[in-house]
Amino acid sequence: MFPGATDDGEATDTADRSTRDGANFVVVGAPLDATTTFQPGTRFGPRRIRSLAEPFDDYDSRTDQHFSTLSVADRGDVRAWNDVPEYLEYLASTLREAVWNDAVPLMLGGEHTVSLAGVRAVEPEVFVCLDAHLDLYDAYDGNPLSHAAVTRRILEDVDAVEEVVLLGARTGSETEWERAAADDVTVVPPEAVGEWSPGDRLADREVYLSVDIDAADPGYAPGTGTMEPFGLEPRELRDVVREVAPHAGGFDVVEVNDRDDGQTAALAAKLVREFVFSHADG
Amino acid sequence: MAKQQTEVRELQEGSYVMIDDTPCKINAYSTAKPGKHGSAKARVEAEGVFDGKKRSLSQPVDAKIWVPIIERKNGQVVSVDGNDMQVMDLETYETITMRIPDDIDVSPDENIEYLEMEDQRKIV
Repeated sequence: MFPGATDDGEATDTADRSTRDGANFVVVGAPLDATTTFQPGTRFGPRRIRSLAEPFDDYDSRTDQHFSTLSVADRGDVRAWNDVPEYLEYLASTLREAVWNDAVPLMLGGEHTVSLAGVRAVEPEVFVCLDAHLDLYDAYDGNPLSHAAVTRRILEDVDAVEEVVLLGARTGSETEWERAAADDVTVVPPEAVGEWSPGDRLADREVYLSVDIDAADPGYAPGTGTMEPFGLEPRELRDVVREVAPHAGGFDVVEVNDRDDGQTAALAAKLVREFVFSHADG
Repeated sequence: MAKQQTEVRELQEGSYVMIDDTPCKINAYSTAKPGKHGSAKARVEAEGVFDGKKRSLSQPVDAKIWVPIIERKNGQVVSVDGNDMQVMDLETYETITMRIPDDIDVSPDENIEYLEMEDQRKIV
């Protein structure tokens, strides 16, 4: 269970639903590890993130709030299996339940592919994503549901999505960069993220925020599958999360694996909490 | 309440199910593979037949669940009075009073189809 959240495992009896209906935020683990292309281990991501969140203080002095009073329910993991389309359908259904109950889903990945389920559930107009990679492949190794194609899928398969903002992106194939040049994609390179502000761009629009932890420089977040140097400072990720969170109806942090001493999961856990504090303070 | 029991695995999109003691129509049905020793689970996304509210449930596929028995009937509008109308059941000739939905225009002698479950009715 995410520290500070209430235990709200998936109910198997509809009579158990009353507690879940009242939560403001619902944590869902999505340990999918099916299409990772280099170093695997995202199946351990949700567990690592919850574990590394344990030492954090409940109180946030910036917003004068206690995490444990913000009504965060943790309904555990949606166990992953290899049929990715089927898994995403089931996962989206789980997240949609939170949306229907006026709660904000907080998804712990898992490879980045799971964001497609989050976006399907929230149906945002704008997909804001911190990521080292463009993830704009039409298909990677022939797989359109590869984690390297997730942003493209979100743009093309979710009707509600009008535009994508990619923050910290610094690598992609030639065809991905060509796709990124279209009007519905904005790429903010790492050097410019510190100065970036959404301004009025997100006002009165449905927004989904996704953090691929490899947006951070691998020096800070080595526990991820495809490390890409020259990345963001943790404080730059934090500032983006603080800015976007008040507008966002869904959030995820993905691509955390277990191949480090916990630095990556600690950063991910902290960003989840920053999102909750900032959204609640919003 | 008119209902019967079935297993969750028997449910399908377009059919009815009771969620939170409310009859609902199923919009989406998906299943999760079991863990090594777990039993497969199904998720149902549904919408209340009479109140339009979205609901969902997650249950093992072999769990028992209630399915409401909803009748589809034909009726004839006898008269209209403000927001209410008198409708004659074309099978039993019983006359009932129904609230006219905001998005529907009806006039006397018109034939309508409606869903009925106990005292609840909805025009389709």
